Order: sequence, then structure tokens, then C-alpha cells
Amino acid sequence: MAGRDTNEGVSDDYPLSVGESLALIERQQRETQRRLRVNPAMFYGPWGAAYLLGFGSVFLTYPTAVPLRLPGAVAAVIIGVLFAAATVVSIVTGVRAGRGLRGPSQAAGAMYGWSWTLGFCTLAAVNNGVTRLGLPHDAVTLLWSGSSLLLIGVLYLAAGALFQDRFQYGLGLWMLVSAATSVFAGVPGNFAVVSLAGGGGLLLAAGYFTLRPPCPRR
Amino acid sequence: MSAIGSLPGLDPVIHAQARLRVMVALAGLSTGDQITFPRLQQLLDMTAGNLSTHLRKLEDASYVQITKAHQRRTPVTYVTLTEQGQRAFADYTTALRALLTAPTDQLGD
Repeated sequence: MAGRDTNEGVSDDYPLSVGESLALIERQQRETQRRLRVNPAMFYGPWGAAYLLGFGSVFLTYPTAVPLRLPGAVAAVIIGVLFAAATVVSIVTGVRAGRGLRGPSQAAGAMYGWSWTLGFCTLAAVNNGVTRLGLPHDAVTLLWSGSSLLLIGVLYLAAGALFQDRFQYGLGLWMLVSAATSVFAGVPGNFAVVSLAGGGGLLLAAGYFTLRPPCPRR
Repeated sequence: MSAIGSLPGLDPVIHAQARLRVMVALAGLSTGDQITFPRLQQLLDMTAGNLSTHLRKLEDASYVQITKAHQRRTPVTYVTLTEQGQRAFADYTTALRALLTAPTDQLGD
């Protein structure tokens, strides 16, 4: 039975030296972290691309300095498809990471995941409720870009606190700055801010987490 | 097990490569978390028989706690390190580091 173990052909009764033991511990720790921890890049990547390209295409439906002009329907399809794809990737990633695990960290992860759904459902209710009072079109888009980035920022602040990750906290701060900037940028500049600062920021964060080995946490 | 004889002060339950790997993997879980047998098996690339043999030895030493639960009528086995197991693993790594820095002539005694 021990012979079928796939750890570099070392059988179980092989006498481990101190050095070998320490090396084995380090190797197994790395392997365990790699397989158990979700790399945040798995969330940031798809959402960064969805924001960059989705809101980038909305920006291009307005007459801007950019010579390309997209029909509204095209932008709507691009945004719909990319957001649906990012949602599916996020759910699959979250569910797969928690497979075969239960306990406090799983409960915390699930509650954090639901915070996004609950937050954005409430945001939609609030924004639609306010919009019904008869806001000008520009005010509606500014309301959406500002409030969405604000919520995203606050949720990253929470992730930074929950997972003891200063980088994610910093990303949250970046999103808060982007939220305020987008409102003051006006229309259609707000879409450029959501696309470049929001989506671009997420893609940079994805790059950072792809290159940085995930740190062990307790 | 010749390894134990040559390295005094190391916990013989942990100082065997398969069980050491099991301990490291379980110690890598967040505090209080439990892992199912199949996921642990997948994590370690061990056969089911091999893993259960080693888990039994670790359970006999009270280093791991094995819980049988039911999810949608399917029995699920959860594994987690006990407090005693966490302490034993911490002591083991401390002992390893001490041996590494100790003058080599002491190892022969």
C-alpha cells in the first residue's frame, strides 16, 4: 500500500533525516496552501475584464474623443455576457474551494460571498426606487457608477479585514477613490473611470495575486 | 523504524513521511475547520487504504479527531487536528529545528 504513495517514490519506512523532514514539511505546506486557498485573482480577473470591456463599451456609445462609436445594443450585450460569465466563474470558484471543508472559515467565506449578492440586490432596489422619482438620465448613471464602486470598495475593505490582507484593503480604498472620482467626472467620463480605474484596477490586482504566492493564513 | 532510533526526541507517531504529510495538511486548515476524507485524500495523493491506516494511528494517539456525519443521507467522514495534535506537531517542528542547530556530535549520543 505504501508503495503506491506518490510522494517522489519515498516509501513510508524510509528513515527521514532532520533536513528531509523540514523539506517535506515545507513542500507539503506549500502544496496544501496552493490547493486549499482560493487565489483572489480568480475573482478579480473575470470581474476586472467585465468592468474594463463592459463599461468601456458603454463609454464608446457616447460621442467622445475616441473615433469608435458603438450602438447601445452592442454595449448592452457585451456587458450582459461578461457579467454573466464573471458571476458564473465566481460562484464555481467559491463552491469548488469549499468542497469537502466545513468549519468557521467556511462559514465566514459563505457569509462574505452572500454580502456581495445581498449588497448589490439592495443597491439595485435603492437606486431604482430613487430613479422612479424622476431623475435626469445623467444623474441616474452617476448614481449607479458612484454607488456600485462605493459598495465594491467597502466589500474589499471588509475582505481585507476578514482575511487579514492589507492589499485587498488597499484595493478597497482605491475603489472608494474611484467611486467619488466617477461622480465628479460627469457623463460619459464616469464610464471611463469605472472601466479604467475600476476594471483596470481589478486586473492589476489579479496580476499581483497571480505573481504573488498566496500567503498562509489561520 | 530505523529513523526513530537515529533521531532522539522526535515523536515517532509523526516522524514517518506519510503521517508527517497528513499532519502538515491538517495543520494547514484554518483553526476549527474540518476536511472530508476524500478531499484530504486528494490533497495528499494517497490511496484510501493508506490514508485510513495512518489516520487510525494518528487517532490512536489522539492527534486527530474523526467525525462521521450524514449529508443528504450519505455518510461523510470529517477529519481535523485535535488540540493535542496541534501541540504535538508544534513540538515536533520545534524539536526538528533544535536538532538542526544542535552540534552534530550530540545526535550520535
